[in-house]
Amino acid sequence: MFRSLKLFKGDKPLLFSVVGMSLFGVLMVYSASYYNAQITYGDALFFVKKQLVGLAIGLVGMLFFSMTDYRKLKKGGLPFLIVSLVLLALVFVPGLGKSNYGATRWIGVGPITIQPSELAKYAFVLFSAGYMAKDPARMRTFRGILPVLLSGGATCALILIEPNMSVTMCVGLLMLSLLFLGGMKLSCFFSLCVPVLIAVPVLILIEPYRLKRLMAFLDPWASPTGEGYQLIQSLYALGNGGWFGTGLFASRQKYRFLPFAESDFILAIIGEELGYVGIFCFFLLAAFIVWRGFVLSSRCKDAFGYLLGVGITLVYGIQVVVNAMVVSGTIPPTGLPLPLVSAGNTSLIVTLCSFGLLSSLGK
Amino acid sequence: MSLGFAFLFLVLFVQFFLIQIVRRKTLGYRAIGQWTRELPVVAQRGVIRDRNGVVLAGNLPTYTVYVRRNAVEDKERVIEVLSELFSIEREELRAKMQKSVSEFAVARQISKEQAERLNGYSLKGVYYAPDAKRVYPYESLLCQVLGFTSSDSSGVSGLEKYYDDYLKGKDGEILYETDLVGVDVGDTLLYREATAGLDLTLTVDYKIQTIAERVMEQAYVSSGAKNAECLLLDLDSFGILAMASFPSYDLNEVPRDDISLLTSLSRNGLVSNSYEPGSTFKVVTAAANLQEYLNGNPNAFSPSYIFSASRTRSVDGTTVKCWSDHSNGKHSHQTIAEALNNSCNPCFTDMALSLGSECFYSYLDKFGFGKTTGIDFPGEALGMLLPSVTVRNCDLARIGFGQSVAVTALQLACAVGAAVNGGNYYVPHLVSGIGDVTVKPELKSHPIGEEASSFLRSMLEGVVRDGSGKKAFIDGYRIGGKTGTAQKYENGHIASGKYVSSFVGFYPADNPKTLVLVIIDEPQGAYYGSVVAAPCAKEIFSGIIALEEG
Repeated sequence: MFRSLKLFKGDKPLLFSVVGMSLFGVLMVYSASYYNAQITYGDALFFVKKQLVGLAIGLVGMLFFSMTDYRKLKKGGLPFLIVSLVLLALVFVPGLGKSNYGATRWIGVGPITIQPSELAKYAFVLFSAGYMAKDPARMRTFRGILPVLLSGGATCALILIEPNMSVTMCVGLLMLSLLFLGGMKLSCFFSLCVPVLIAVPVLILIEPYRLKRLMAFLDPWASPTGEGYQLIQSLYALGNGGWFGTGLFASRQKYRFLPFAESDFILAIIGEELGYVGIFCFFLLAAFIVWRGFVLSSRCKDAFGYLLGVGITLVYGIQVVVNAMVVSGTIPPTGLPLPLVSAGNTSLIVTLCSFGLLSSLGK
Repeated sequence: MSLGFAFLFLVLFVQFFLIQIVRRKTLGYRAIGQWTRELPVVAQRGVIRDRNGVVLAGNLPTYTVYVRRNAVEDKERVIEVLSELFSIEREELRAKMQKSVSEFAVARQISKEQAERLNGYSLKGVYYAPDAKRVYPYESLLCQVLGFTSSDSSGVSGLEKYYDDYLKGKDGEILYETDLVGVDVGDTLLYREATAGLDLTLTVDYKIQTIAERVMEQAYVSSGAKNAECLLLDLDSFGILAMASFPSYDLNEVPRDDISLLTSLSRNGLVSNSYEPGSTFKVVTAAANLQEYLNGNPNAFSPSYIFSASRTRSVDGTTVKCWSDHSNGKHSHQTIAEALNNSCNPCFTDMALSLGSECFYSYLDKFGFGKTTGIDFPGEALGMLLPSVTVRNCDLARIGFGQSVAVTALQLACAVGAAVNGGNYYVPHLVSGIGDVTVKPELKSHPIGEEASSFLRSMLEGVVRDGSGKKAFIDGYRIGGKTGTAQKYENGHIASGKYVSSFVGFYPADNPKTLVLVIIDEPQGAYYGSVVAAPCAKEIFSGIIALEEG
């Protein structure tokens, strides 16, 4: 039926896995949040309802972008980048910006809140892909890569002062990967790594809480009720899951023990309820999405499409890996949602749209 | 790029495997504590019974009510109901609920009916768990021996303390599944039953104890003494049949607020206090002499030997005197039996000195002086016995008739008991059974043989029939015994007008089964053991005989 309507043009394996992942996300958001939502908002479905709205909008957006010819977007890179930078700056306008957990990351207009950093990642990808594809040769020079560095740097800087260290890191990683793919020379690549290597310790020393978090990551049990708490609770959840998990809805840790259970740490609840087997399947699906993204990108005849596709895939892949590493205590805890799964509308809608676009590549 | 991601996912597979599978157990042990809140199920304390099964210390099943603030849904209703049911001040309850972070007890030792009424309200955040209240059905009966428990049911004194490990049992618990702040998220997770403590069976006989206490109370009142106490020993095993001390106190109303009063009332002086025994100690000297005589020791006196009638003996330049002035002629021409009848001090000086310190001390040792008897009771005193290497003849001369030596009532009772029961010194004990296990009497020493013991019995029977113990005589029954009157010392000097009057007796005299030691501390007026203590022994024996004869 879809085929006859020609609505569904995109790559089906990718779209089905992405939609499947989002539905799984809604289910897990429900499981992880209903207890807390009932207590905090008096409505067990508080987060699920929001998530479903996001899913509906996201699916429409996805459908729309899957029918869009990506080549038309080539020129839209710069305006989109400017808009996203403005939105990032608007976060700091009193009255518009919304703070939570000591960070100003949201813009609120009436009942709608959006997280500009979610948009900025894609704006940067679109802009960089367009710029690099236009004249691949200039990427061999430092001057040539400067616009990419500046746009990425500006995005990073604005996100960093929200503050949101983890998204900054993701954008930074994204930028380096794109520059590398765009044909940047290795010498340039390494000379770029130097300021990053210097910046990280400086950034950590500027904000004392980051140092504390770092210490807590090395030995969470040194401050089980303080900095180490979040990680310990995440590990408890995962440990409680074992091979096959406690069963869907049977998490113990969601009873207010694990903070951000429905958002940044939803993977811990997945691990608890569905076990290592569940986590394994989740990673397989995520890896499949990443692999499929790379395949679709490489099928593109033009450099713009290729870079755009890889960029979109990287945004997703990097976030999944970083989030999973945070949840498992492999890297210090930072606030980063698990894309398509964690509660959070902006991220869900934008990610779905990006995958719509990705699915249309190579057609 | 794909290879890079493949590597990263591989790292994640390994990392999650390490956490979820390898570290599962260690993480689980740590996590389980935070998922549950527990309330104690207090174990029923072991019941203490007399040798015939009469319950002397038992339990009243009660409950303790707890509130966990965060689990409370309707705070005002909880305050209202609890304050009404258990008559607690509302404001006090409100303040407590404000302060507490976890469970706290709002009411202890409530009855089953109250708990059921509370249950009827089904208040969220209010819980109750089994507890127990120690009850002593006979109130002050055997109070110094039984001892009492603290408010959290651990033994503080007496047998409750000594056998606490057996009596206390093992608490169980009720586990509730809660969220982070203590709101219940499921039904009760686990109810682990408490293991009740082991019951104790005493050697004490409730009926004999009752008689002993009645007689001691009368003696206390009529003599105006500071304290009246007695001890009854089963001579076949050295099981304690009764230990009575007046004044006493109600175990159900322990005066916990007055520490010094409580300390003095709850002290079992028969075990924990030392005193100078005086003439009752002569039984031991006589026993040693008789056994040595039978052993063929030429320094021992024969039962037919006539002691010097002089009132004094001169030892190491000091003079030992008889309590009597020897003017009525009774104290002349005395054999050992008559010396015992008259309680004539110099005769026993002769015996102790003649045996010499080495020989005499070997008997004192076998009769258990200068060391604890090993009774199953806390706080046993040692008494005071000069070391054999430093004892001088002038000391030995006095020890012979019970001075310059301090004993506990229990030590004296056991020594005399062993002297008259055929020479068997057992470890005295109060408990004959713990749970299902019977505690067997333990023979500790064998200070004298049956022949010497038999001589002694007939001599001591003579004391009651003809001598200073006449007031313990019951026509038609054979009772043996010895009186004692000792002056008390205060700060190293004789305290004038302060005496300890005592009598140690046994029945039947020819085959002793029961020993009684009566000690009246600082009687007013008449103070001789023969006058003050012996009649008490008679009353106690009469009571026992009445029991035996139904």
